[in-house]
Amino acid sequence: MKIILVDDEKKFVNMLAKRLSLRKLNADVAYSGEEAVEKAARIPYDLAVLDLKMPGISGFALKRKLLEMLPEIKLIFVTGHGAIDKNGNHDHSDDIFLAKPLNIDTLIKTIHQTIHPDKQ
Amino acid sequence: MIRKPQMLQRKEWLTFLFHRHNAHLASFHTFSNYRCIWIISIIILAVTSLSPLVMATFINQRLIQQAVDAELVLQTERVTSNAKRSMRFFLEERLNALRFIVNELPYYALIDNAHLGEILRNLKLGFGGFTDLSIIDADGSQVAYAGPFNLEGKNYKTQPWFTKSIESDNFISEVFTGYRDVPHIIIAVRSINALGRLFILRATLDTQRLMDTLLSYKTNVHTDIFLMNHAGVLQTPSSTYGKIFTPTHLGIPEFSTTTNVIPPENKSDHAFITGYSYIITEAVSTPFILLVNKEKSVVMGTWLNLGRTFNWIISISCLVMMIIITLVSTFMVNKLYLADKAKAETMMKMEQSQQLACIGQLSAGIAHEINNPLALINETAGYLKDLYHFADEHQNDQEIMEHLDDILEAVSRCGTITSQLLGFVRQFDVQTSNVDVEKLITGILNFHKKETEYKGIHITTDIAPDTPAIETDRGKLQQILLNLINNAFQAIEANGCLDITVSHLSPDHIFIEIKDTGCGIPEENLKRIHEPFFSTKKEKKGTGLGLSITYGLVKKLQGNIRVESSEGVGTIFTVTLPVKMKKEDKA
Repeated sequence: MKIILVDDEKKFVNMLAKRLSLRKLNADVAYSGEEAVEKAARIPYDLAVLDLKMPGISGFALKRKLLEMLPEIKLIFVTGHGAIDKNGNHDHSDDIFLAKPLNIDTLIKTIHQTIHPDKQ
Repeated sequence: MIRKPQMLQRKEWLTFLFHRHNAHLASFHTFSNYRCIWIISIIILAVTSLSPLVMATFINQRLIQQAVDAELVLQTERVTSNAKRSMRFFLEERLNALRFIVNELPYYALIDNAHLGEILRNLKLGFGGFTDLSIIDADGSQVAYAGPFNLEGKNYKTQPWFTKSIESDNFISEVFTGYRDVPHIIIAVRSINALGRLFILRATLDTQRLMDTLLSYKTNVHTDIFLMNHAGVLQTPSSTYGKIFTPTHLGIPEFSTTTNVIPPENKSDHAFITGYSYIITEAVSTPFILLVNKEKSVVMGTWLNLGRTFNWIISISCLVMMIIITLVSTFMVNKLYLADKAKAETMMKMEQSQQLACIGQLSAGIAHEINNPLALINETAGYLKDLYHFADEHQNDQEIMEHLDDILEAVSRCGTITSQLLGFVRQFDVQTSNVDVEKLITGILNFHKKETEYKGIHITTDIAPDTPAIETDRGKLQQILLNLINNAFQAIEANGCLDITVSHLSPDHIFIEIKDTGCGIPEENLKRIHEPFFSTKKEKKGTGLGLSITYGLVKKLQGNIRVESSEGVGTIFTVTLPVKMKKEDKA
């Protein structure tokens, strides 16, 4: 399973990658949308964890670009804009939103659920 | 709320006079003193509408008065003048007859009693009014007499009329009784006989004839016509002053050869107008003054009554106009007040919502800025914990683990606060869509599945089958229900019950009842639960924002929230929501 984490907060995203790797989930990091697109061109990621608000390409714009390149890719949005925002943005109600600060266990659970939706 | 005209009920009349003063609200009013506006408007309306009316009435009154006076003067003058002329003619005619006799007949014919009697008879036939005739010589002794009284041989030397008549050619006396006790007038002409001696032809006139002539000018009972002498003693009877020879105590009017009218002295309607004239014949002046008295009120009664009626009509219409002015002013000022009040209330609400929006934006800004460092702290602390956890060596160092857990716990609390603060912002715009309440509730309960099983909570949902999909803001309703259900879960001990009932009792509203068998809320706290930052969840869990936000959200969705609770038994939150939100309150 190939995961990419995209966030302009370098320290945050590095730390998150390290913690995931400790839990046997290897993840690449990208500090901007452009970098993520570059990396996605080389590696077919299964899942992307995206920050909603980034300088340059925003979370939603990046989602469209990634889906163009990798139609099978699954997406989890991370937002600093408050909790349970999945329902507030009913335009994107298929997407999964998680609030910052993240709970690592919730993130891992969500990742597993997204990759294997059949397993409860 | 838009005020409809029919909603102006009786109790809302005069609200501008009896409203409670609210300084904050008053600062948004356009006008401050409605009582003052009310009084000024009544005064201005009354002055502008009533003053021309009052002025016109006053002028009209004056004109009528003047016309009445002028008419009265004219009338009196006419009557006086006519009566005077006929009086003068009456006396002159008879005086001239006597003059004709003395000039025509020789003295000896005159002193013949039989001849004199003949003359008297002819005079009575020709003129009328003669009682007797006599010839008196210069000594005052009566030489001849014809008439009903036997006065032959009398001497008149001492009589005042004789002395006067011997001094002038013609003489007319006052009315007097003399020797015979009957009121009469003496007219006399002086002449000279063949011997060169003076003699007087004297005739006595009966006053009845004079009075009849006078009374023929009396047009009505309220007009008094009489003669008086220069001393003010009545010469004919007067309906005002009494019988003949009564002193009138009237002031003797100033001598004038023409007719004069004395206008009434006082302005009252009972005043008299007096016309007078000195009666002067061509040959001699008489002692008579003719007076005509008219009572103003009677003569001009119709006019004066008309004026009075007019005054009444004007007074009543002034009164009616005052009432209408007062009512109209009151109504208009009240309308103005209500409109102003509605405007002020809207402005106050706007101010409040702007303040809230400001606070919301500020909080959201802060929350957002804090969230990123918070996330970093979270991950860093988490990583440290992971390092210790996975690196075996410190795995059993309980102290470090505890500290790291404390950090993570604190970060998580901060996260809750920031996410709720961000929730404030979302209160401000409402996006409506059709929401299936049942699905929403099921979805929320799924979040809590684990906790339900863990705590052994028994959940029942009873959703009325006729519940329609309501038009509201999905996100807000979800947050409301989530907050309430979260609260319930926190209150419920193990093996408690949570009942969620949705009913559709009135066509326009649905009721969502969330009933738990938790610890309940003490009565003193019930009033405060919607206050921001009020929390009884000590230290760890609560921010005190949950119910406050819930309350704000329900209001935003034009709904209502009610809470009933008894300590130890449980709490029921009832949310009432409109099936279809009204457009106008979206702002």
